Formats: sequence, structure tokens, C-alpha cells
Amino acid sequence: MNLEYKGQEVVPVPKDKVWAFINDPSKIASCVPDVISSNIRDPHNFDAVVGVAVGPVRGKFTFKISLDPQPDGSHMNMKISGGGFGSVVDLLATSEVKDNGDSTTTLDWSATASMRGPVATVGGRVIDTQAQRVISQTFANVKSQLSATATA
Amino acid sequence: MAIAPEVPKERHALGLPMKRKEDPRLIQGRGRFVDDIVLPNMLYMALVHSPYPHARIVKIDKTAALAVPGVKAVLTAEDLAGAGLAWIPTFHGYDKQMVLAVGKVLYQYQEVAGVIATSREAAHDAAELVDVEYEPLDPVVDPFISKTDKTILRDDRENKTNHIYHWEVGHRAETDAALASSEVHIKERVVFQRCHPAPLEPCGVIADMNPATGRLTMYLTSQAPHAHRTVVSLVTGIPEDKIHIISPDLGGGFGNKVPVYPGYVVATVASVVLGVPVKWIETRTENLTTTGFARDYHMDVEIGATKAGKITALKVATVADHGAFDAAADPTKYPAGLFGIVTGSYDFPTAFTELDAYFTNKAPGGVAYRCSFRVTEASFAIERGMELLARELKMDPADLRMLNFVKKEQFPYPSPLGFIYDSGDYHLTLQKALDTVEYKALRQEQAEKRARGELMGIGISTFTEAVGAGPSKHFDIMGIKMFDSAEIRIHPTGSGIVRAGTKSQGQGHETTWAQIVAEELGLDPQNLLVEEGDTDTAPYGLGTYASRSTPVAGAALAMAARRVREKAHKIAAHVLEVADADIEWKDYKFQVKGVPEKSITMKEIAFAAYTNPVPGSEAGLEAVYYYDPPNLTFPHGAYIAVVDVDKETGETHVRRFLAVDDCGTVINPMIVEGQIHGGLTEGFAIAFMQEIIYDESGNNLNTNFTDYLVPTALETPSWETGSTCTPSPHHPIGAKGVGESPNVGSPAAFVNAVMDALSPLGITHIDMPLSRSKVWTAIQAAKK
Repeated sequence: MNLEYKGQEVVPVPKDKVWAFINDPSKIASCVPDVISSNIRDPHNFDAVVGVAVGPVRGKFTFKISLDPQPDGSHMNMKISGGGFGSVVDLLATSEVKDNGDSTTTLDWSATASMRGPVATVGGRVIDTQAQRVISQTFANVKSQLSATATA
Repeated sequence: MAIAPEVPKERHALGLPMKRKEDPRLIQGRGRFVDDIVLPNMLYMALVHSPYPHARIVKIDKTAALAVPGVKAVLTAEDLAGAGLAWIPTFHGYDKQMVLAVGKVLYQYQEVAGVIATSREAAHDAAELVDVEYEPLDPVVDPFISKTDKTILRDDRENKTNHIYHWEVGHRAETDAALASSEVHIKERVVFQRCHPAPLEPCGVIADMNPATGRLTMYLTSQAPHAHRTVVSLVTGIPEDKIHIISPDLGGGFGNKVPVYPGYVVATVASVVLGVPVKWIETRTENLTTTGFARDYHMDVEIGATKAGKITALKVATVADHGAFDAAADPTKYPAGLFGIVTGSYDFPTAFTELDAYFTNKAPGGVAYRCSFRVTEASFAIERGMELLARELKMDPADLRMLNFVKKEQFPYPSPLGFIYDSGDYHLTLQKALDTVEYKALRQEQAEKRARGELMGIGISTFTEAVGAGPSKHFDIMGIKMFDSAEIRIHPTGSGIVRAGTKSQGQGHETTWAQIVAEELGLDPQNLLVEEGDTDTAPYGLGTYASRSTPVAGAALAMAARRVREKAHKIAAHVLEVADADIEWKDYKFQVKGVPEKSITMKEIAFAAYTNPVPGSEAGLEAVYYYDPPNLTFPHGAYIAVVDVDKETGETHVRRFLAVDDCGTVINPMIVEGQIHGGLTEGFAIAFMQEIIYDESGNNLNTNFTDYLVPTALETPSWETGSTCTPSPHHPIGAKGVGESPNVGSPAAFVNAVMDALSPLGITHIDMPLSRSKVWTAIQAAKK
């Protein structure tokens, strides 16, 4: 099954800070909800073990995440692939960072996910809202962590 | 020995509603199924399945799995290749299938590796840790896209096409001409969806290769233990005497336990490698996603007729979705099974049918789910077609059927597609059904309800099956002729043991086989032990599926019993001190002709066979018979469904369902009724609830019983049954077989009833399953 998501966050910090944040695998890893452990392999790649509960499917998913910052300094592509207990999730996320000219930054993001195996079949009826929650929570966490640095 | 029905007026055992001998064991939890068996030093196997429907395998890393405590081995296709078992032939031998994925996966949940461990838990935990790297490929899930050959799925095959075969029978030019010149003509695409037999006990095996004796014992969920023994020998090279297959109690089969599955092969290799028994029991998901599915036929049905309703021609063109391998379970010479029965109960002057089968990225299969090979698909096509024709002609569907039935004086009836129907009285059977439901009153009620805007429907299905494969001149599986066998041994005290080459999965053979033999010999059926499923003791037979047990093995039992009776006749003459010619078999004992008080029972003869044998003759009282049927048998029935459809919710309420069946001579009416109730319930599930759906990415969406629904007592309608009896003229006791009739005949009755209910809205056809949402959507669309 293929699913699509998108959203927007306005972050109260300048664009360069946002860009630096989303270029840092350790910072991104800390924003993914329900992360059990993460392993930074290089400046653009990291692995994360995430707790997943989709309907009757409960367990750990291991994801390989690679960051692909675009030379324009405004677009970040992110590829997430992995799975567990016979299921596979492939997710492609793109985010665009826009300077609002008032020391705030708009983060537009969209993602497409394809899922196979029990996660798609058993969890078919509930996975959409779950995936929506995980992805939007990740970007919401990006915003809240950056906001914390602004007030600090 | 001449074969002719012997139908005595007063029955001794045949036709009596004897309680099932197997039930006290089964209902008290004293049955013995494969998973009940635990052998010393036994290991457990779990399989690794592909999440992708189509992908190349880049790498398989066993390291993490092997590190799990208790894991003894992880096997992949590479390991099997060493034993020559990476691929095995499919059912009829025209294709081959991967045991474990070889370089590529072709459907979601395909078996990729087997993990063997000291506990089931360790095996399953380790299976999750087998790290398989895939390179995904685009899946093809629609046979009509497969047909274009844009993506070739089977690059291992010589012919680079997804087209598996073309099959046809009948008169193409004559049929086309007749259709073109017919005054009335209907054409509809009728899909029989992919569904699954889903027996409550999934498949499983314990493979036990004894390194000291070199003998392989397999406790196997098998509907055909002897055929499996021969296949295992041919595929592995193990001599057949070194293979012992035991099929213990089975919790349903419905065709699902006919094929050989990868799990059986991998467990066997594991046992050979490790020298200990290895058990593999499927999960529900494995059963639904990998083992033999049924149907998936897309049928274009065309019928021509005169304005008066006389049918002129039938044409059915089918696209069959066979999944990743051509593993359809059909006899060798019948790639589309007995689909030629598609002319049904009707006297078509001419007919033609053709079928093209394609590969897709779906699980392989095409088993005869509670039906003789492809007979359900054919019956559904013709019964839907006749209903659409009646609608087109504005004629009552019962009248249309009555007008076009094969008449009883036409039997034996040669059908335009090559069958010789043995016997039947279609007019009588339908009339009985119409009278029983009070058809005219129902139509009157329907008219009144329609006037009030309510949706009530009446659906008829008057099917004819072709069962009991089959005559050796036509029927074989991988060359083995489809006869069946029986062996009877009568003990000195008049009890005995009866063995057959069939294998009950719940059909009640322990009772009905005893009744057949008891009837022929005048013995007590309670004291005839029936044994099946052990290849070391049972005579060779092709097993139980396609309603073949009673037509073939049932006949073998009657004939073996008559052989016993021939010998008993000589013993009777010897004991009574008269000539053979002066003795007759009458009232279930041997009597001196004209002197009924001078008689001897079979029980007394049995004792004499061991204590006072005829001088110069062998002692003992036993016989074996291998029965090669001269023809198939052709059970028929008339089913009527009455439904109310809720306009606001799309929900169908099956208010009444009557099944009048004619299966020839009935062995045990209580078992027949039970079979009909069970088959109708499965037919109801197919019509309203069940489908194996693949999404556009090749995900199987019905992998468990929350998504693949099995009806409970709550939603199952109350069934009414009735019968007529036209014995088969070529079967020793006139029996035809009934276990599958209700599953063959009922889907069309349900769908015809719902379409009849929806006809005021102009809706002519909805494909099964007729779920609330589908019916509601069709009602909404019709309102616009």
C-alpha cells in the first residue's frame, strides 16, 4: 500500500540554524518518536531501532536512514527504509526550508510511504493514522527542539 | 463380475442414518492430528517469507539467526540445490516451482529460508533475524496486465511469456454462427474471485528420516497419502519402500491438502541433514498466503436463444490467474479441469469454451476447493448466464430452465463439450424444489413488496456436476491412473477391518465405508473397523478430493465385498452340504434355495473360513479390489435462495435456502445432510464474505481470519434440504457423491437471488463477494 503525507511547521529560528539541525543525523534521530536506539554511521547515514505498534502488530523496526541535502541549501531529501517481522517500509521525505525574513523559518515537508507485509495487511485499517502520527510528530519535534534553542 | 446397481428394498446398513463412528473420538479431543504427535529428539521449523511480491534476492545473511540459542540450521535454496531439490515439479508436472526462493521472489510471503531449532519459539524468533536483502521489482497482479507481457515474470522458463497455456473444447465456428444468428443474446463477464479453502487445521508435517534404517516416515496433512509417497520418491530418489506416509486425523482439507508444499520438502531435507525428526506446522497466515488458493477465473459468458426462450448456443472464454507457478491441481490431460461441464443441466445444440492461463505475482494454486476440478467455476458461469438470459427474455427463470433442461429420456446424454451424463431427472428435482418453497406464493409476495419499494429476491441454481475422477483412459496425475482401491479382511468372529486408498478429512468414511461393506455382507457396521491414510497398510489409491471417494473407492469397497461374498458362497455350500448352485444370497444370509430355514449367516461363515475351510481352497475371508470407473458420475440439484436486501445499508438477509440434491443412492442420510449443511455454509461465505485481495503493490490483504472471514453460527442462514434419487447406472451401488454439490451449486443461487432483488434498480451483475459495501455502492450508483 502507498500512502502520502504532508505538513508545515513554522520554526522561530533563522533558516541557517534549521538547515544545520536537519543536516545533523544525531539531532534528526532524536526527533523520531519511540526511538529505542540509534547508530550514526557517517554524516549522512544512521540506523534507528523504533518501537512500532500497529493494531495487533507490535515489535521493533530497524530503519536505515540517509540524508541527502540538496546543493541549493534549501531542500533536504530523506530516504528511510527498513522493517521488521516480515514487513518492509520504504519512505521518501522531502523538506523545503524557507526564510520568512523575520528570523522565523517555514519547514514544508511531504512524504510518500510504501508498506508491505503484515504491517500493510494486518494493520491496513489503522496504519494510515499511525504513520501520519509518526511522521508529523517527527517534524513537530524538530520544531520544538529548535524552538527550545531560540528561547535558551 | 458384472457391475450393476443392487438396490434391495429393505436395507441392512445402507441408507440408514447411523451416527458417525469417528465422532466420539473427535468431539472428546481424542483425535490425533499431525501437531498432536511428538517424537523423541524432534526439532521445529519456521519459514522466512518475502515481504515483497516481486524482487531479486541480493543477499541472505544467516549469521544472526544461527546465533539464537537452540538454532540448529538455516536452510536456503542453495542448500536445497545440493540435494537437487531447489525446484520441484508442480501437480500435473507441466511446470516447476521453487521450494525456497531461487535468486528471486515471485509473490508476497514466498518461502525464502527455513530455520530449524529445538523449540518452535526459537525457530520463529530466529526466522525474524534472517537478514534478506531484496532489490524490489515492479509486481504484476492483474492477469489482464500480465497478458501484455510487458514484464516477464518467469525468466527461468524457455518461453519468455506470461501466458501459460491455451485450452479449448467444443465447436468454435458453429457456436459463433449460432450466437450471431440468435434472436436473443446475452454476454457478461462473470468473475469467480480468488478464495481459499482455509481448513481449520492448517498444513503440516513431521519428517523423520531414520539414519539407521534409511527409512523416511512423514506424518503429513495429506488428502492423498499414496500419491504423495510416489511423488516424494520420484522427486527425492528415495526408493518408495523406504518412504512411509501417515496421514492421521485431518481437520478439513477441501482441496488445500492435495498439493506438495515447500514446508514439507524443507522439513524433509532438514531431517535428512540433521538425522532427527523435524516438525513444521503452518500458521494461519502461511496457510492463507502461500498454500493452494481456489478459483480466480474471469469468465466471459455468452448465450444465444430464440425469442421463445429455447437456447441455441453457449460460449465461455476465460482468463485464469494462476499466480507465480502453474501449480493448479488438475488431472494431467485436463489443464482447466472439468470446466467442460459448463453447459450444465441444459441441452445446448452447440457450445464452445476456451481458456488462457497467466502468471502473476500472486501465490500459486488453483485447487479444487470442495469441488471436482473447476466444476464450481463452470456451474457459476452457466447458472449466472441462465439467470441473465431469463432477465433479457423477461421470462421466469424457473420456466426458462424447465424449457431447456436435458430430459430424463435423453440419458445417457452426450453433452456438446464431450461428457456422457450418466443419469438424472432435472425436471423432477426443480419441480420438487419449487413445490417445497411454494414458489408461486413467493413470487406473489415479491410483487407486493416491490410495489412497496422493498427489495426481495429469489435465486435459482440447477447445477450438474461431473465428479468421481476418473476412468483410467482419461484421468491420471503425473501418469498415475485415477482408480481407487479397497481391502477387506473378515476376522473369524465376524468382525473385520476395511482399508481404502482414500483419506477422510471429516467426510465420515469410518462410518460410510463400514455401511457399504456391512450392506454387501450382512455384517454389523459397528464391528467393521475402517482404516485409511497409512501407506504401509492401505491399498494404493489416489486419495480424497473432487468428490471421488464414494464414486471410486466406494465402488471398490462394494466390489471387494462382493469378492468376499463369492468366496463365502462356496463356504456356505460346503457347510450346508449342498451344491454351490443350490445356495442363494437372500435377506443378508445364504440360504438353500426354497428352504429358507436352512441358512447360514456371514458371521458363521467367517468362523468356518478359519475353522472349516472348503477342502482344496484357501482358508481366510478377505479380498482386494482396484476399481477403474467406466465413467464419471453426474450429481445434480435444484437450489432456491430467498433474500431481502436492505436498500439503506446494502445488507442481504438470506431468509430461506432450500437445497434439493440428487446424488443417486444415499449411504447415510445424516452424513449427507451434514455434508450439505457444511457445503452450503462455505458457499454462503464465498458469495458474501470471502476473497483473497491483492492491492496494486502485490500486498495480500487477507492474511488472517479477521480479514478473511469464516461464517459463524450467527450469520449462517438456516438450511432446508430435500432429495430426489436417480441412481448412477454404472456404479455398483448407484451412488454419485454429494460432499461438494452444495459448494458448487449455492454461490449462483445466492448471487441470482440478490440480483433478482436489485433488478427493479436495473442492476444486472455484481461480482462476489456481495458485501454490504459493494451492494450499497451499486444501489447508490443505480440511483444516479
